[in-house]
Amino acid sequence: MSGEALPPATGPKVAGPQTGTQAAGPQVGVDEWVARRAERREYLPSWLGTAQRSVERVGWWPRLGIAAAAGALLPVLGLSGFQLQVGIDSLVFAALAVGLNIVVGSAGMLDLGYVAFFGFGAYGYALLSSAQIGANGIHLPSLVSIPLVMIGAAILGLLVGLPSRRLSGDYLAIVTLFFGEAFVEFTNNVAPTKFGGANGIAALDPIHVGGYQFLSNASYYYLLVVVLVAVMAAMRLLETSRTGRAWRAIRDDQLAAGSMTIPVDRVKLMAFSFGAIVAALVGTVYAAQQISVFPTDFDTPILILIYASLIFGGAGSIAGAVTGGLVVMIIYDGLLRSPSDSGYLFYGLILIALIAKLRPWRRLVLALAALIALGFAVHALAGAISATWVAGAPQSTGLIADALRNWLVLPASSQTPGKVGFVLLICLLIALVQIKGNARIYLLVPTIYLASFVWETVLSANPSITRQLMIGAILIVMMNARPQGLLGARRVEVPT
Amino acid sequence: MGFFFQELVNGLTTGALYALIALGFSMVYGVLKLLNFAHGDLYMVGAYIGFFVIQWFGGASGLHIPVPLLLVIMFVLAAGLVGFLGVAIERFAYRPLRNAPRIAPLITAIGISFFLENAALLLFGAQYRVYNTPDFLSFSSGIRIGSVTIDTVQIMVLAMTVALMVGLRLIINRTMLGRQMRAVASDREAAEMMGINVNFTIAATFFLGSALAGVSGVMAGLLFNQVSNTIGFIAGLKAFTAAVVGGIGSIPGAMLGGLLIGVAESFITGYVSSLYSDLLVFCLLIVVMLVRPTGLLGRPQLRKV
Amino acid sequence: MTAPPVLGLHDLSLSFGGLQALAKLDLEVGDTEIVSLIGPNGAGKSTVFNVITGIYAPGSGDVKFAGKSIAGLQPYVIARRGVARTFQSLRLFANMSVLENVMAATYGATKATPGESILRLPRARREEREVRALAEEVLSFFGQRLAGYRWEQPAYSLSYANRRRLEIARALATQPRLLLLDEPAAGMNPAETHEITELIARLRDEREVAILVIEHDMHVVAGCSNRVVALDHGVKIAEGGFDEVANHPAVIEAYLGRDPEALAEHE
Repeated sequence: MSGEALPPATGPKVAGPQTGTQAAGPQVGVDEWVARRAERREYLPSWLGTAQRSVERVGWWPRLGIAAAAGALLPVLGLSGFQLQVGIDSLVFAALAVGLNIVVGSAGMLDLGYVAFFGFGAYGYALLSSAQIGANGIHLPSLVSIPLVMIGAAILGLLVGLPSRRLSGDYLAIVTLFFGEAFVEFTNNVAPTKFGGANGIAALDPIHVGGYQFLSNASYYYLLVVVLVAVMAAMRLLETSRTGRAWRAIRDDQLAAGSMTIPVDRVKLMAFSFGAIVAALVGTVYAAQQISVFPTDFDTPILILIYASLIFGGAGSIAGAVTGGLVVMIIYDGLLRSPSDSGYLFYGLILIALIAKLRPWRRLVLALAALIALGFAVHALAGAISATWVAGAPQSTGLIADALRNWLVLPASSQTPGKVGFVLLICLLIALVQIKGNARIYLLVPTIYLASFVWETVLSANPSITRQLMIGAILIVMMNARPQGLLGARRVEVPT
Repeated sequence: MGFFFQELVNGLTTGALYALIALGFSMVYGVLKLLNFAHGDLYMVGAYIGFFVIQWFGGASGLHIPVPLLLVIMFVLAAGLVGFLGVAIERFAYRPLRNAPRIAPLITAIGISFFLENAALLLFGAQYRVYNTPDFLSFSSGIRIGSVTIDTVQIMVLAMTVALMVGLRLIINRTMLGRQMRAVASDREAAEMMGINVNFTIAATFFLGSALAGVSGVMAGLLFNQVSNTIGFIAGLKAFTAAVVGGIGSIPGAMLGGLLIGVAESFITGYVSSLYSDLLVFCLLIVVMLVRPTGLLGRPQLRKV
Repeated sequence: MTAPPVLGLHDLSLSFGGLQALAKLDLEVGDTEIVSLIGPNGAGKSTVFNVITGIYAPGSGDVKFAGKSIAGLQPYVIARRGVARTFQSLRLFANMSVLENVMAATYGATKATPGESILRLPRARREEREVRALAEEVLSFFGQRLAGYRWEQPAYSLSYANRRRLEIARALATQPRLLLLDEPAAGMNPAETHEITELIARLRDEREVAILVIEHDMHVVAGCSNRVVALDHGVKIAEGGFDEVANHPAVIEAYLGRDPEALAEHE
């Protein structure tokens, strides 16, 4: 509240007379620190943050170019069929997250029916490019069907966004959730001969442009890279334009935005519409790649996956959305398809978290030593009590299995103890969060032991459930620990 | 005509169930202004607890203990355990976010809901668990009026709901705790400055609301027989609809909303088709939200600019 | 043939449930005139602003801007016509930068569609340049306070006084004919208060805009008003020059309580 510093000599010349009284000269430290917006961005901790800062110096468009080139080159380095599929799925979700970012990140509205636009795009393409409708079906050329579907999605987005006129965040969220449910119900139950019902629609035409047909997974991978880059570029251009400013203004203060010439209702509808267009576009490519569509492809778990991607990467940031989509999907898909290898990821993450959080080194070493000692001790004790208590085998194979052999207690019939352990683990984790100080470290050691027990018995044995648990955990943990996500900017919300 | 009244009775019973869930939901919203997405999943946990109590005491057809005792244990255990689960969730997930932007607790709630559903899947498996209520609680005895039957379970549900609602009303309006809850719901900061232990009050509210959800879960198991890990999602949506239609934050409103939804559903299923009952409930919600956003019994909130 | 006043409130009434917020209020603001609106808390001053800017619709009576009725119109329409405001409790776009806050307010004056923005078509590029130039010009009005190096800072990082100035700058970006300032000097120390008083006078003189100011600080009111209007319980109780109104017994009574002798003397 006291006098301001004089601007640095390199600043632009300021026209107009000086106003009022100038207090004493420059304030040491105060304004320069404030002016350095970087500090406010709360970069990722330590060396990650430094890396982030260097990356940002490069400029947005060059970064996009580099990322696009890297993405395009990846298959050239040799990807197995499975890895290619994971890559395709990751690109799909990255693009979906960018679309969702418009509604949630830019305009600040919670659309829990977003997956229905994705489904609309897929089903729209399916109906226009298959034998489903009429005697021989409609087989529109892709350059016609895809834009048509996108226009339809834009209109649908407007319709779904209509409640946003009257409803605030929470209520709007639930109404859009209902809409998403309605879509699944519709495709599941209404006119099965026309819309496929529970069996969906199959035998879709591949995307064809000019004479070229997209048939192989590799070709769809490249197509998706192009789509993702195009979507990112379009959204970036939109973000930095008057529309993007209007969206962010509405997000920050709807009332003030309305008083500053912004037609709030109309602009909100635009957000819904653009989000829908992006989702539908991705939907068409997804449908063509899968060659079929089913109602369950667009149900609530998929919606939550898109949200987890966006929240993890950082809502409000295009780069964040993409990163979140890629990372979350790679783990999600990878977990399912090779459960025994995902042990590396699990233990790796624990180790990294320990190294990052337990300082100084002495503490870390002590904790690890205690952990190892505890394991061997418990194992020996359990083995002495009964042989069946240690007769089981871990889910993980290879290196991990060898390491665990005499360390982890694995009973012969491990499912029930595993489940009990799971519940106990949750309780311990909750307790860990509440406890402070040294007690936390003491509790950490048995918790980690229990965690690996639960992992080897039930979690990696049920990868499809485990990965859903992971998604739920991402949402809970991110909101508590780092609500702006990995690459997002910390937001300030002024209570009104 | 008998059909009409039978449907009405059925509708009122399921409506009472929805009302109970909506009650807990509305209470939590009133105090924290938070739509607890995970509320429906608490109901699901309650239903499972009831199931396991039955198994513990010998299973539906081979009970060691008298049925009334079984019921008491089921309800008390469900209420207590789910109540504490709710308190734990509040403490661990929602409390740190009390001053965060509105979107944060909402997304956390979605995460918790998803986590609970999958945890139940992991622990209990995907197949439906069956209460087999007719084995220990006769469906055929009860009151008969003309061609309309109100069986034992329905009577119990209706009676309990009324009792719980009356009890809740008493707590809110006549006890110190109730007054504190109303104060915190009105203005949290001011309540804190008046010496109210806000953390405890919020925890107590969550306990009560979650306990109600747990109890409704047991009731649902008794009424509908089947329990699985996905029942919470649909129940949560219906609870939300009931709470909003009746007026969120209002207890009689939640009751009214629940009954309306239950009856509407019953009639639509009976006279038209069960396919459309969800759709029409959805439409009812939209209409109410657009025409009277504060609900039938809610009070409009004035906002100072 | 005189032009109609920039702002005309005729017989304006509004009640919230049982509370009569405004009762048959008549008020006029002429071109390039500063009118101060004073009165105790709860007198209805901010309500007047909210009715003028379209946040509330009047219960009865009319609001005329440059002769045309704007009662019941949506806020953004009224803003585009040329009425801009600041808020008693600051309502900036906290997470946007200083420059973006000001540029956001130019939405109504620009026409580029989202499609044009994405493709960076000529109209979009031109409007973007113009908008930026306008924003820079408006910000430069505040001299060193909101100087160039501040433009990329997020609005929440500014000092309180600067945030108040930014809100005025944002309002100016809508190129208004009528500016409504709601307690612009609230929470400011004497030096800043003096600055803001001069600023308001400069706004009238250099940017030729009519200003309606709600203020409690009488230094500001005395320092820049052409006319003062006093409200209490939604009713106008005095109007005129500062000295006239400040010494009016009804005004003194509204603020401080009744002094029967003085009242009898005046009558």
